Amino acid sequence: MIDLSINLGKGLILDNPILTASGTFGYGDEIAEVVDVNCFGGIVTKSLSLEPRIGNPPPRIVETAAGMINSIGLANIGLDAFLKEKVPYLRELKSRVFVNIAARSEEEFCDVIKVLDREKWIAGYEINVSCPNVKEGGIAFGTNPNVLRRLTRKLRESTDRFLIIKLSPNVTDIARMAEIVQECNADAVSMINTLYGAAIDIQTRKPKINTVIGGLSGPAIKPVALAHIIKARKVIDIPIIGIGGISAGADVIEFMLAGATAVQLGTVNFFNPGAIYEILDFIEHYMDQHRLKSLNEIIGQAQV
Amino acid sequence: MKCVATAIIRSNQKVADGIFLASLEAPEIAGQCLPGQFINIYFPETTKIFPRPFSIAGASDSRIKLLYKVIGSQTTLMSGWSAGQKIKILGPLGNIFDIQEQHYRDFILLGGGVGAAPLMFLRDELVKKGIKPYFFIGAKTKAELPVVEDSASHLILTTDDGSVGLKGNVVEHFLRMAENYKTPTQVSVCGPDMMMKVLKDISLPQNMDVFVSLEKTMACGLGLCQGCVVETTSGKYNGHYALVCKDGPVFNIKDVKFND
Repeated sequence: MIDLSINLGKGLILDNPILTASGTFGYGDEIAEVVDVNCFGGIVTKSLSLEPRIGNPPPRIVETAAGMINSIGLANIGLDAFLKEKVPYLRELKSRVFVNIAARSEEEFCDVIKVLDREKWIAGYEINVSCPNVKEGGIAFGTNPNVLRRLTRKLRESTDRFLIIKLSPNVTDIARMAEIVQECNADAVSMINTLYGAAIDIQTRKPKINTVIGGLSGPAIKPVALAHIIKARKVIDIPIIGIGGISAGADVIEFMLAGATAVQLGTVNFFNPGAIYEILDFIEHYMDQHRLKSLNEIIGQAQV
Repeated sequence: MKCVATAIIRSNQKVADGIFLASLEAPEIAGQCLPGQFINIYFPETTKIFPRPFSIAGASDSRIKLLYKVIGSQTTLMSGWSAGQKIKILGPLGNIFDIQEQHYRDFILLGGGVGAAPLMFLRDELVKKGIKPYFFIGAKTKAELPVVEDSASHLILTTDDGSVGLKGNVVEHFLRMAENYKTPTQVSVCGPDMMMKVLKDISLPQNMDVFVSLEKTMACGLGLCQGCVVETTSGKYNGHYALVCKDGPVFNIKDVKFND
């Protein structure tokens, strides 16, 4: 039996390094008929806000070369419905569950955390400071170093839970943002959220996304994500959870070599819902082939 | 239960200009399919990443029928499918055309071009219940009509150029015959957006309920991406956005808006 487990620190060990990326896996229950959700080391839920959000008007998605642009606008059921409708399913999972939280203000983040802290089964929080598609909150928290510092401090004061800050690539210096997160004692960063992207219909001259500019994801952004992880790894010691265009087992190894302790599968859940099985098989085979006892042996080991 | 499965192409024939009818062997999925539902087809190429949704045009215990029109690179690839070839599909997805035979006294199927696909499956189910529906299919010309004869329904063909059947628009002819329909009447529609818009805007005869099968760009087909939303009226969905993949693709026309 090959040991795929990874240690995120703070006593948090995942059975394998594969998590789901927020907003690409719902709350797990939607896809449970198609995929064994417990095959993932962790589930990161769709962004949750204090009140429900209906999200942005259509069109919300468009396919682009080896990727897609989305502008969903954090449509979600809100905290109350989450507790009533989703918790009974999520709390029984073998996979560790991380709740992704989005908010319009520091206070809203803290209000959500205060309620979720009562749910003992939750492994941690991922804080969305990088959504490019909402007017208030979202990326505004993640692009200004001072705002990010203040928020991360406040969140750290408000909870002892495992705290992940999800970083935006739409900044000049992502390594600086990662550093700030570490200085404020968050437990990990996840990176990257989507890149700004746009597409235009040449016949109608209309943007293909309602908000004109949305978030680009998918295999197209993998090299960008890797570059950002390499930069961040040089300046921080806390775990990096790698995200960005991962669609196969080889991509996971590449992200781990670049410095990621774990990874998230995002857009691939749409075009290959069973990718997790192929990825776990690949990693086992790779470990066997390279005589690895633990995946720790490859984290950050690229010769960069 | 919906699942990902390997389907084997059993046949794939051109039935009209640019329109093909394929039969897929997929016993894990076929037996569960109901009219109105769709499947996602996954393609091996990596530049266009989304799976493509297709209405189910018929199903038996082991096979699924698809009626599709060649539009882009994926459907061009499909037109080259040969018997024995294997593809990956996900299904069955979405809701259904709910046949309420206790309530309605006449059933009308209204298809625009390849939009006839889900209605062919619905016709099969109606026939099983001993119902002979009116089946309107419209196209620009005779060559583009996916179905030209059907003894199981009262088939009414229309073409813009009059090359076969009644000359003119399929919606106009459907309305012109309204006094023949027993009420209450259930109308099931699938066709271009413009056809749905026309039906939404006109005042329909009394005691007629219209159900439309919608199409939107979808990334997943499962409700994960929340991309395929349609705006709704104050009815069933409370004015919120509904997901075409999960809440639909079939909606009561009263519940949806067509303004994007």
